[in-house]
Amino acid sequence: MATLAQPVPPPPVIRRRWSAWRRNRAYVVGLTPAAILLALWFVGPALWGFYASFTNRALTGRNARFPEWVGLENYRRLFDDPDLATVFLNSLVFVVGSAMLGQFVLGLALALLLDHAEARGYRLTPLVYGAVLLAWVNPTVIAGFQWVAMFDFYYGSLNQVLTFVGLPRVNWLGEAPMLSVIVVNVWRGTAFAMLIFLGALRTIPTQIYEAARVDGAGAGRRFWDHTLPNLRHIAVLVLLSVTMSTFGTFVLIQTLTNGGPGNQTQVIALYAYETAFRGYEIGYGSTIAVVMLAINVAFATVYLRVSRPKV
Amino acid sequence: MAVRAAPATAVDTRAVPAARTVARRRARPGVVEWVLVHLAFAIVLAFFLAPFLWMGLAAFDPQASAYIRIPERLTLDNFRVVFADYAFGTALKNSLIVSTATMALTVLTVSLAGYSLSRIAIKRKNWISYSILLLQTMPLSATMVPIYGLARELNLRNSYLGLILVHTAIELPFLTWMMKGFFDAVPRYLEEAAWIDGRSKLRAWFEVVLPVARPGIGVAAGLAFLSAWAEVLMVLILVNRDEYLTVPFAFYRAARGEGSYLEVRYELVAAMGVLYVLPVLALFFATRKLMVRGLMGTTRGL
Repeated sequence: MATLAQPVPPPPVIRRRWSAWRRNRAYVVGLTPAAILLALWFVGPALWGFYASFTNRALTGRNARFPEWVGLENYRRLFDDPDLATVFLNSLVFVVGSAMLGQFVLGLALALLLDHAEARGYRLTPLVYGAVLLAWVNPTVIAGFQWVAMFDFYYGSLNQVLTFVGLPRVNWLGEAPMLSVIVVNVWRGTAFAMLIFLGALRTIPTQIYEAARVDGAGAGRRFWDHTLPNLRHIAVLVLLSVTMSTFGTFVLIQTLTNGGPGNQTQVIALYAYETAFRGYEIGYGSTIAVVMLAINVAFATVYLRVSRPKV
Repeated sequence: MAVRAAPATAVDTRAVPAARTVARRRARPGVVEWVLVHLAFAIVLAFFLAPFLWMGLAAFDPQASAYIRIPERLTLDNFRVVFADYAFGTALKNSLIVSTATMALTVLTVSLAGYSLSRIAIKRKNWISYSILLLQTMPLSATMVPIYGLARELNLRNSYLGLILVHTAIELPFLTWMMKGFFDAVPRYLEEAAWIDGRSKLRAWFEVVLPVARPGIGVAAGLAFLSAWAEVLMVLILVNRDEYLTVPFAFYRAARGEGSYLEVRYELVAAMGVLYVLPVLALFFATRKLMVRGLMGTTRGL
């Protein structure tokens, strides 16, 4: 321990910049592998996509090897694309239905239910909690096929229930495809909102409720006046998070309906994929992807503003 | 003493639930309330568990269909068919190789990057942090077209290396951010003492700091494995040769598409599902508390 006992000599006064670099050198090296991977698979592709959106690059053929610069042609085409309006509308319905209404509201409701049940000490509480989590950690492909079975017209469990109570069968994926994919996405994603809300509910001090109870406020009153205002900030964050993650949903819809029937469940992500890989138009597909990224950056910026993460 | 609002930290979160449970229990639970809560429980359980109930039963049912029924006779034939006729063994092997390697590479990269980000002292440090968070929200489905082009240029299609690299990258932003949090909590005097003892920064990190951050590394490893295990999109665009396909694609084999309608061999899908979900369940429920904390940060679409 001799080294510890000696006083550390004061650092010699040298040019500050140089010493700062020496202090941080090791950390810059430590960040390098991650930076390379991120540049390779995130930043690079985003920039490349931006570039490709100004060309007529194709998947195969002459334009694959020698793409031509077409300027804003692809962006002009966006406005004339008859399918694009449908696709945007579908994305909007899907996001509003499954993220904002579904996951957000159901997540809050489940959090309140579980928080209440936990305080009461009901035995089944952990089971219900686990069931919601189970749907969430389930790989997407399994979720897709499980629900293909649930929705099956002749034998599916949903229609079995309907016939049991005397209602006619519904051709879920054929006649109500958007509703069906929304239900599955809510099933899959609600756990996230629920977990965050549960965490937030636990930080509301009990004294507030006690005081309100003494003042004679009923359960509904206490909820509106105290629970909801305390959740406001976290609610905005949850809303933005689930919106962003739902906006990028691809695999689930692809497994369930593949955008069909017709293009009733075609969302932006699927449309970009179809254009690039089925229509062989990399240039135009990239343009759609750029629009998608722009929308996402807008949401993310608001998210960062609101959450103000500690850096 | 300055009168300031107490920071909402450990004091609040830890003390409150206990105090609350006592306070709430004092109110007498009515029968009506009990019935209502359990009615809600029943609905929630039915909604969330029905698909799993179907899968678990159908996997062992020789005549499985889309509805939930208890098999008249239990069989393992479905599993045998899956391995014999649908190359499920190869798919399982590929998934295992890719996920394990992704896990190793991710843990190495994010523990280095998270520590460096935690300790680096430069002017625009928050810019780095913000851009990492921004990357984290970028939907993969928006960049998959250029990723495909890039992988083709670099000859990384149809290879384990390509899949491993891309799966690692997918998890990097979030896990780096998470590991930074874990390293922020490790007191600096630990490594400073090691430096004074004459260890290099790398050795101090490896021998002194890493052992303290072990729970964080565990979570990062688990999450990296799970995400690579469940990932479909990148495999979809990076692989078109059978010998590199991962498990999700075995599912599509068991389903024949006709227009927008699927004709599915349900008993096979269920058997595959059971095998595919087992490692996830084991990993997740074994480390539930830690994982939940980690997973809450994922905001990317799947």
